[in-house]
Amino acid sequence: MTQPVRSPPDDATLVRIRGLTTVLNGKTIFDALDLDIPRGRITSIMGPSGTGKTTLLKHITGQMHADEGSIHVDGRNVAELSREELYKLREGVGYLFQNSALLTDFDVFENVAFPLRQHTKLPEALIRNLVLMKLQAVGLRGAARLMPNELSGGMARRVALARAIVFDPQLILYDEPFVGLDPVALNQVLKLILTLNQTLGITSVLVSHELAAVQQIADHVVLLAKGKVVAQGDPKTIADDGSPWTRQFFGGEADGPIPFRYPAGDYATELGFAGATK
Amino acid sequence: MNARAPRPNNVVTQSLAQIGLCGLFLLTLLGAIPRSFRYLRETVRQLWFVGAMSLTIIMVCGLFVGMVLMLQLYHVLSIFGGTSASGMVVALSVYRELGPVVTALLFAGRAGTAVTAEIGLMRATDQISAMEMMAVDPVAYVATPRFLAGLIAMPLLCCVFCAMAIFGGHLVGVTWLGIDNGTFWSNMTAQVDVHTDIVNGVLLKSLAFGAVVSLIAVFQGFTTPPTSEGVAYATTRTVVASSIAILALDFVLTAFLM
Repeated sequence: MTQPVRSPPDDATLVRIRGLTTVLNGKTIFDALDLDIPRGRITSIMGPSGTGKTTLLKHITGQMHADEGSIHVDGRNVAELSREELYKLREGVGYLFQNSALLTDFDVFENVAFPLRQHTKLPEALIRNLVLMKLQAVGLRGAARLMPNELSGGMARRVALARAIVFDPQLILYDEPFVGLDPVALNQVLKLILTLNQTLGITSVLVSHELAAVQQIADHVVLLAKGKVVAQGDPKTIADDGSPWTRQFFGGEADGPIPFRYPAGDYATELGFAGATK
Repeated sequence: MNARAPRPNNVVTQSLAQIGLCGLFLLTLLGAIPRSFRYLRETVRQLWFVGAMSLTIIMVCGLFVGMVLMLQLYHVLSIFGGTSASGMVVALSVYRELGPVVTALLFAGRAGTAVTAEIGLMRATDQISAMEMMAVDPVAYVATPRFLAGLIAMPLLCCVFCAMAIFGGHLVGVTWLGIDNGTFWSNMTAQVDVHTDIVNGVLLKSLAFGAVVSLIAVFQGFTTPPTSEGVAYATTRTVVASSIAILALDFVLTAFLM
């Protein structure tokens, strides 16, 4: 059996992306993107909507493959892994989906227990305790027997978070973890992400638009636009680095290098006023 | 399947491409059967949903098919004075054709559409992707148990349908129209051959129909666009494709088995 190709050992970097190029339906999502995600740190990926943040997470986990370039996770090239090797890699990766993606046939408890039941032969009592501990961490131990359709959007995200961390993975990818959370839940989730990072050394990648939340916990912020990394650095100072990208994005301005409007023809012509201007 | 495959632009090539993809999906499904043995509980659960939950419609329809068949045959055969053979004709019609075909059509409408809609919604709500991310093979966990459940349930449902149809025929013929009870059963047992009518007619055909309907239902669910419109189209396609496949396959099997 051939061994997966490993990149040169680099303990400081868990995910190394080089020359990532992806074109979907004729639209260039990534254009020779280079990015390093440091091990044991919290990295936040930010950028305008539709810039490919979720797609980047899918590339990292092997759900999508790039047209060109490479992604190494813990030294292994994701595109070259067999299905079994990819699944083995994913056992060490937690993923919080944008829409929670809870299994609707199971209650909250069974949703969180699902990965444990599939990949371990732990005794039922231990599974129960592990699940209850994770649910306690997200404040939903009392909701263990509710079905997904009985949960609010924020509660569903917290259950999905408990499921994502049930294995204490080495890497957790959070896709918009703060959407739909009230201030109390948001604060608790922030603390949880920080605790997981500080106590277990879990590498976290956050896709989020909430700059205030990101500034509280992230070690590193990456700003994506037009298929490339246009800015990156410390979350406290990145907004003030003076580049037109960060000024427009963090300042919320419509005009700038990040296009607010989808490409379209002449506005007056489309409204039928073209002749009136002559 | 492969999102980057060029999409054929005319109906014939699109249909052929679908059949080809369905064939490839069948190979994936068969390849996943050994891995799905660890999800035996899921297969049993699906057997309950597609089999036991379809019992009511199968029993009621079987009863009425047998009753109306006997009524029609009695009036036609009475012209020739052959009403004593009506029980036997009901049995042969049900075992050879009506049992497997009508059961399969009802199964496609009741269980096939439910399977397609369920898997389609699982795709639309990222549940399939979540399984992938939890290193659980969705083909082995979701598709194969439903396919195997359909394969097991169809012959059993067909047997129930046939039994109810014979009962319905007896009810109308013997109880209502006055055919002699002994004649009804003796003519039937004399003419029905276990190998030709029961094994080839009921079991083999229903097994084949069960495989086709389950494959189409699971395939449509897995390949539907993850939108509400996509799921609606996929459930419709399951019924249409299954119905055509059942009737076409019935002709082929009958031609080979006769």
